[in-house]
Amino acid sequence: MWWRWGLFLWMAVVTVAAFLYAPLAKKLYEQTRIIYWHIPVAWVTLVAFLVVGWQSWRYLVTRDLVADARAAVAMELGLLFCVLATVSGAIFSKGMWGSYWNWDPRQTSIFFLLLVYAAALTLRAAVEDPARRARLSAVYGLFAAAVTPLLLFVVPRLFFTLHPDPIVNSAGKLEMHPRMFQVFLASLVGFTGIFFWVYALDVRLRLHQLAREGAWTGSGKDRAA
Amino acid sequence: MGHERDRAVTPGSVAGGSNGGSLLGTAWAVFAKDVTTELRSRYAVAATATFALAALAVVSFAVGPFGGRAELLAAFLWTVILFAAAAGLAQAFVREAERRTWLTLRLVAAPGAILLGKWGVNLAVLASIEVLVVPAFLVLFGVEFRSLPAFLAILVLANLGLSAALTLVSALLAQARAHGALVSALAFPLVVPVLMAAIVGTRRAFTEPGAWPPEWRVLAAYAGVVVGIGVLLAEHVLDD
Repeated sequence: MWWRWGLFLWMAVVTVAAFLYAPLAKKLYEQTRIIYWHIPVAWVTLVAFLVVGWQSWRYLVTRDLVADARAAVAMELGLLFCVLATVSGAIFSKGMWGSYWNWDPRQTSIFFLLLVYAAALTLRAAVEDPARRARLSAVYGLFAAAVTPLLLFVVPRLFFTLHPDPIVNSAGKLEMHPRMFQVFLASLVGFTGIFFWVYALDVRLRLHQLAREGAWTGSGKDRAA
Repeated sequence: MGHERDRAVTPGSVAGGSNGGSLLGTAWAVFAKDVTTELRSRYAVAATATFALAALAVVSFAVGPFGGRAELLAAFLWTVILFAAAAGLAQAFVREAERRTWLTLRLVAAPGAILLGKWGVNLAVLASIEVLVVPAFLVLFGVEFRSLPAFLAILVLANLGLSAALTLVSALLAQARAHGALVSALAFPLVVPVLMAAIVGTRRAFTEPGAWPPEWRVLAAYAGVVVGIGVLLAEHVLDD
C-alpha cells in the first residue's frame, strides 16, 4: 500500500518540478513541459510492447493462459498509452508547427503502432475459444514485435522530419539541461511505475475472470485473494 | 487436393510431416496443388487483377490528364498494389477453411511446408497481378522510369516481404471469425515499413537516373524478418 502513496507523491513532485524547477528548452518555449509527459508515455508504449512480445513467447512455450492474460493486459494498456502519446504529440505539434497533424514520420510511426495494438485486440475479439485466441494472439504479438523496430526506428529515417532529435541524438550526445534531465528521468520512472501498477491490478482481475469461467484453476493465493 | 489425396497418409508419415529434409519438397507439392487449383478456377488472379485495374482507373480518373509528381505517382502505385494484395492473397488459407480441406492439408504436410508453399503461391499471384498493373500504370499516368533495374529490385524485394506478411496474417485469420473483413485491419499496420520503403525507392527510380535506391536494405531486412518469424512460429501458426 505504501508504494502507491509513494508513486502518487512522486508524480505530484514531478508535475510541480516540470513547471517550477526545470528550465525551458531553447526554441521549444512553453512546449518544453510536454516533454515530461509525451516522451515517458511513448516510452511506456514501447515497454508494453516488449511485455506483449515476452508474454506471447512465454505462452507459446508453456501454453499457460496466465501468460496470455498478461499479454492481453499489456496490449490494452499499450493501446491506452499509445493514444496518450499520440494526443500529447499532436498538442506539441500544434504549438510548434501550427497544426495538430502533419504526417511527420514520427507521428506516422506512433499512429501505426496504435493501429497494431488495435489490430491485436481486434484479433482477440474475433476468436472465441480461449486456447486458440491465446495462440493466434501470441503469434500476432510476436510478429508485430519483430516488425515494430523497423516501424519505429528505420521508417522515420526514410523521410524528412521536423521532430526534435531523440534525447540521446545520432551523435550520441545528451543535449538537455541537467535540471530538465532530472525531471525527465523522474517522470520516466514514475510513468513506468504507473504502468506496472495498473498492469498488476488488471492481470489479477483477468485471472479472476478466467477462474470464474473455469478456464484457469489458479494458485491457492489467487483463489484466496 | 490433387495428387496428395491419392496417397495413403497418416499424420506425420508424409514428406515434410516430420523430417526437415523433405520440407522443400512438400512445400513444392502444396505450391503445385494451389497453382493447379488456381489454373482451374482463376479466381484469385482474376479477382485481384480486376480489383487492381479498377482501382488504378479510379485513381487515374481522379488525378486527371495532367498526371502528378513522382512522389504522388509512386504512392498511388503502391497503394493500389497493397489493396489488391490484401484483397487477393488472403484467399490462400481462407479457401482451405471454406472448402474444409484445412485438416487434410495439416495431415499431409508440416506447418512450415504449408506456409512456404502458400507463400510461393501468393508470390506468384502478386507477380502476375503486377505484370498487368505496372504497364497499365505507366500508360495511364504517362510516367517513365529513369532507372528500371532499380525499380525491378524494389518491386521484387517488396513483393517478398508483402506476400510473406500477408500469408502469415491470412493463416491466422483463416482460423478466426469474420476473417474477410479483418485482413486489412491486421495486415496494414504491419506492412507499413514495406510500403514506405517501396514508395521512396520507386520515387527514386522515377527521378534519379542510374540510382540504386538504398531502401533495398529495409525491404530485404523486412522480408528476412517476416520469413524468419514464419519459419520459427510455423508450428504455432497452424497448430490446430
